[in-house]
Parts: sequence; C-alpha cells; structure tokens
Amino acid sequence: MDQIIVSLLNGIIYGLLLFMVSAGLTLIFGMMGVLNFAHASFYMLGAYFAYTLQGTIGFWAAIVLAPVLVGGIGVVVERFFLRKVHHHGHAHELLLTFGLSFIIAESIKLFFGNYPVDYRVPNALDFSAFTIGGMQYPMYRLLMGGVAIAMFIVIYLLLTRTRVGIVVRSAIYKPHMAEALGHNVPMVFMGVFGVGAALAGLAGAVAGAFYTTNPNMALELGVMVFVVVVVGGLGSLGGAMLSSIIIGIITSLAVGVDASVADLFAYFGAGEWARSIGGLMTLKLSSMSATIPFALMLLILLVRPSGLMGEKA
Amino acid sequence: MKAYLTLVVAGIAALIALPFVFSQGLVNAAIQMLIAALFASAYNLLCGQAGMLSFGHAAYFGVGAFATVHAMNGVGGSGLLPTPLLPLAGAVCGLAFGGFAGWFATKRTGTYFAMITLAIAELMHSLAPHLKGLFGGEAGVSAMRMPAWGFDFGSATQVYYLTLAWVLISLTLLFLYTKTPMGRLTYGLRENSHRLRFLGYNVHGLGVSVFAISAMFSGIAGGLQVINNESANYVLFDPSLSTAVVLNTYIGGVNVFLGPALGAALMTFFGYAVSDLTRSWLLYQGILFVLVMMYMPTGLAGLFGNAKRLRQQFGIARLAPVFVFAIAGALLLSAGGAFIVEFLQRLFSQEYRAIANLSAGAAMPPIPLFGQTWSPASLTTWFVPAALLVVGGIFAYFSRQRLIAIEHAVDTAMASETIQIASKGNIA
Repeated sequence: MDQIIVSLLNGIIYGLLLFMVSAGLTLIFGMMGVLNFAHASFYMLGAYFAYTLQGTIGFWAAIVLAPVLVGGIGVVVERFFLRKVHHHGHAHELLLTFGLSFIIAESIKLFFGNYPVDYRVPNALDFSAFTIGGMQYPMYRLLMGGVAIAMFIVIYLLLTRTRVGIVVRSAIYKPHMAEALGHNVPMVFMGVFGVGAALAGLAGAVAGAFYTTNPNMALELGVMVFVVVVVGGLGSLGGAMLSSIIIGIITSLAVGVDASVADLFAYFGAGEWARSIGGLMTLKLSSMSATIPFALMLLILLVRPSGLMGEKA
Repeated sequence: MKAYLTLVVAGIAALIALPFVFSQGLVNAAIQMLIAALFASAYNLLCGQAGMLSFGHAAYFGVGAFATVHAMNGVGGSGLLPTPLLPLAGAVCGLAFGGFAGWFATKRTGTYFAMITLAIAELMHSLAPHLKGLFGGEAGVSAMRMPAWGFDFGSATQVYYLTLAWVLISLTLLFLYTKTPMGRLTYGLRENSHRLRFLGYNVHGLGVSVFAISAMFSGIAGGLQVINNESANYVLFDPSLSTAVVLNTYIGGVNVFLGPALGAALMTFFGYAVSDLTRSWLLYQGILFVLVMMYMPTGLAGLFGNAKRLRQQFGIARLAPVFVFAIAGALLLSAGGAFIVEFLQRLFSQEYRAIANLSAGAAMPPIPLFGQTWSPASLTTWFVPAALLVVGGIFAYFSRQRLIAIEHAVDTAMASETIQIASKGNIA
C-alpha cells in the first residue's frame, strides 16, 4: 500500500514536471500553429544554465536567472529564425525548430561534454519531508510539484483575468482581427514564444538538480512532451495539465505491476494458450511502461484527434 | 533533358567503375552512401512528393532490416531466398507494415500525421528490445551471407555491386512511379487533397498506398544494410535514424527527384570523411540544415537549378562575378565557422581542462589547431575567425547586391524596350 502511495506521488510530481515543459509548447502551438521541436531543448538549456550559474550566484538566483536567459534565447529564435521562414509554411517552421534542437543538443555537447554534469540539489534542500512506511520522501520532489502548481495558477490567472491575457487569447483565436484592432500581433507571438521558452527553462532549472542533467535530456523528454500536448489537446492549458498527470501516474504505476496480457487471459482459462504464443502476450507490464504513453497517444489521435480538452482539430 | 540524361549515365558509369579505383574502406563508405541515398529517395516519395512529413521512417527501415536478417537465417541458415534476392523480404515486410501503419497515420494530416508517425516509431523503438524472439534483445540478430549464383559475397566489392544493382533498380522504379497516373495523383495529394476528394478520388486509400510504397523502398534499404553488416539490432529503430533521413532529404532538396539521394550521399560521405577529423560533425550537419532551411528552401539541388536558370537568363559573363563572390564568401564563412567550432571544442574538452588545471595560475596553454598553436588569451586567436566571418559576410552581401543589380538592369532594359516599341507603334 505504502509502495502504491509513493509511486502515485512520484507519478503526480513527474506529471507536474511534464506540465511545466508542455505548458509553453501548447501555448505556442495554439497561437502560431507551430509545433516547436526545440521546446525540450529549452528545458535542457534551463538545466545547464542553472548548473553553470549556481556556482557563482547561488542556487536560488540561478533558478530565477536561468529561465530569463532561456526566454531571451526563445525571443531570438522567434524573431530571427522562425519569422524569416514563416512565409514558407508550417512544415518549414517545424523543420527549422527541428534543426535548432539538433544544434542546441550538439552545442551543449561541445561545451559540457557528452556526459552528465554534476548539478545537484543544494544541501539546504536535501532533507526528507515525511516518512511513509519506513521510506523517506524527499522534500525537493514536493518543491518541484509546488513550483509547477504555482506556475499553472499564475498562467491561468494571467490568461483569464488580465488585459494581457485577453490580447494573447484573441491573438490565438483570431490573429487577423486582433491585428485589425491595433494590437501588435507579431510582438505578442514573440512574447509568448519567449515566455513559453522561459517556462521550459524554469522546469529544466528546477528539475535538472533532481534528475540527471545530461545532453540527452531533451531527447528523453522531448517526445514525451509531444505525447502530453497531443493527448491533452493542442493549445489547451488545462488539457496539458490533465494529460501530464495521467501520463505521469500511468508510467509510474506501471513500473510496479508485474503482470502481462497472458495473466489477463488466464482469468478466462486461456492462460496456457496465450503463454504459448509468447511475444507481446507474455511481456510484463513493467517493462512496457515506456511504451504505454505512445500507445495512449495513438489511441487518442485515432479516437479523439482534438485531444482530451482541445477545441481545434 | 538530354544533358540531364547524359549526367545520369555518366554517374552510373562512375559508380560501376568505383571499386576499381578506390580502396576497400571507401567502397564500404560508398555502400553506406548508396543505402542512405535509396532511403532518402523512398522517404522523399512520402515527404516531398506527397507532402506528408513523417518523423518516424526508421521504423520501416528497421522492419525491412529485421525481415531480411530473418530471411537470411531461414531454412536452417541457408537462407529463404538466394542472397541477391534477400532485400525482397525487406520489401514485402516494409510494404505490409507500412500499409498497416499508414492506414492509421494517413487518417490525419499535417502536424497530427507527423505526430502519429513519431508515435509509431517510438512504439517500435521502446518495444523492440523487449521482444527477444523477434528482435534478439539488446544483442540483436546476426546472419551470414550465403554464396549464390556463383558469387560468394565475401568481399566488399561484391556486396557493393549487389547494393548498386538494387539501388539503381529501386531508384528507376521510384522515378517511373512519378510518371504514372498514380504518381501524378501523389503530387495532387500534396498540392490540394480537398480537390482530389471532390474529384472523386479515394484520398485515404491513395495516402495509404503512397505510405506503403515509401515504406517498401525503405525496407529494401534496410535489407541492403543488413546484407552489408550481416547483423541487425534494435538500434535500427533509433530516432536518430529518422532524424538523419529528414535532414538528408531536405539538405538535398525535395523538389528534384535525385535531390534527396544527392543530399544523403553527400552527408554520408561528409560523415565518413569528417567524423575521423572532428567530434562535432553532427553540429556541422545541424548548422548546415538550418542554413539550408533559412536561405535555400529548395536545398542543394534547388541551388544548382537556380544557378542554371540565372545562367540561361543573364549569360555566364555577367554572372561570373556574382558566382565568384558567392563561392568565396561561402568558403570564408565556413572556414571561420569551422575555426570557431573546432577551437571551442578543444578549449572546452576534458583533456584541455585537465592540462589547464595542472598549470593553474600560469597562462592558459596554447591549443594546436590546423597545424598551428593558438593561445586562448591572445587577441589574434579571436581575430582570425572574426576576420574570416566578416570578410565572408561582405563577399556574400556583395554577391547578393550584384545579383539584384543585374536583375534590375535587365528589368529596366526590358521595360524601356517595351516603351520604345509602344511609342513606335503610336507614331505609325
């Protein structure tokens, strides 16, 4: 039972981390129709910037400054790269961000080497919050979850309760109308892109200290973030939150399940037959935990292409 | 058209003569180039001609490869088919799996299509290591090339000719496909699928067929890879392979039939030649891709096409300075860029940091690069690449201005001619 509670908690917090990264992605997609392949690279940049900065200015200042720097890079990417190829169409923009993600990953390898760097939780935060059944639960995990929840609330309030939010939402749904009403839509795009990048950078800066910071972290998370955004519904913030937590919990719980499809058949008396087939039938659910999100995404795309909470399809 | 044909025939002749001229190592590289060229052309059928951007084409390459390796091991190790026909196994399984996956993927278009292909490929990649019976787990499956038809396939040269034959046949078939009515409809799928639907065509069926055919030729490429390596491993499903084929195809140029093949062959050779010299060749590949995306959306093949069109329009004499400046600018810019990348790579390498830590307090030790030593603290070290980049940039700018001036001059000349003709007409 304790085991389940711990993995449930771990799953929720991993889900919240996924949300932090995918929030910016889903906003950018909803707005510009561009699926930004470099988004997980911003997450990685956040971790590396925070790692580099914490040596000189301390952990907290690094966590604040790293997202700002990443946001700046996001603005540059939008202004000087994406906007230039905009007239070639969406496929071209997609490919450009794809190339940029490649360059960012290789540049990180150039400067920091092709191995994990020693970015870790500061001693002041490295204690356990509570104990469940003899297992100590690290405080830092709760902190990561807290940052993500705070971020969700802030973005939600910003988008729904402020004037800036109105302009941003109108630019998402009716860019031409917003432009006709005198709002600087390209500027809004640039701002949203920068903020989205900064959010991913924040996620990287916070999570990099807990998970490993290595040049492959963008690749590992990148595909998962797409899964989150597609399952939740492209452009939907609430959907991103929902699907991140679902995916976090599913992957985390599946690791502990030692059953296979054949066991399911055994209930109906067909266990022997299923086991004799082998292959997919006898594969343990625990070893498939990395596969489940992709299967879920395929299912969603085929059954409900607009995602759980998406409006546009 | 005739010049194009001559070029192709000359190219084929050069490919046939290649093993007589070059060493075994280069023949091996040439096999890789041919396989990459076929894979990129197969990918381009889907991506360039049908306008469906797939991010998971490694799945079909990998399925073809595993089908072939199992065919090689079939019938008690003697092979299901004679060795030269083994890629057929890859083709059949690629076609079947492509039809299955394509049925799902082509239900959606655009970004959703790209996401589905990505999901299918990731599904394969994460499942493959667990299915030991089929994919051999982490170790993979190995096989032996059996002698057939009087060849023993023991040397790289024989494998090269086998690969060459398959690649040439496949490319010819792919080219002929573009000439068939269905090939023309494939372009229609890219340009306006709504209209095709209104004209009464089964758009989904067409999409699935194109997807399956593209997967079939990818499977052949995978099969050739297995015949060359005599083994297959789940790493074939790695996303980096899907990445590479996208990069190669677009660097080559999607609008010209042989563009992707050219791009893939060049990038593979680039990797072969440069990966020994530098650790950062993937970075160069990425930079090249982004530059192509930004400044040459039609790729390298499009660049040649543009140059040819300009030559026909304005004549070589007027364009010579433009080309000279453009080439000089490109060379200088790449020299400057390569200098910076290589220097930074050495400066930040672990070895250098260890050396610098040994002599802590003293000046930073100089770095050997391009047959010379450069001190990181010295101003000249940074001046050299900066100068290269600035001069290269000026050349590029000048070439661009020159081109605009020529186009402008021709425009005004034509305009004044029109006015003269018009005024003469008035007098008469």
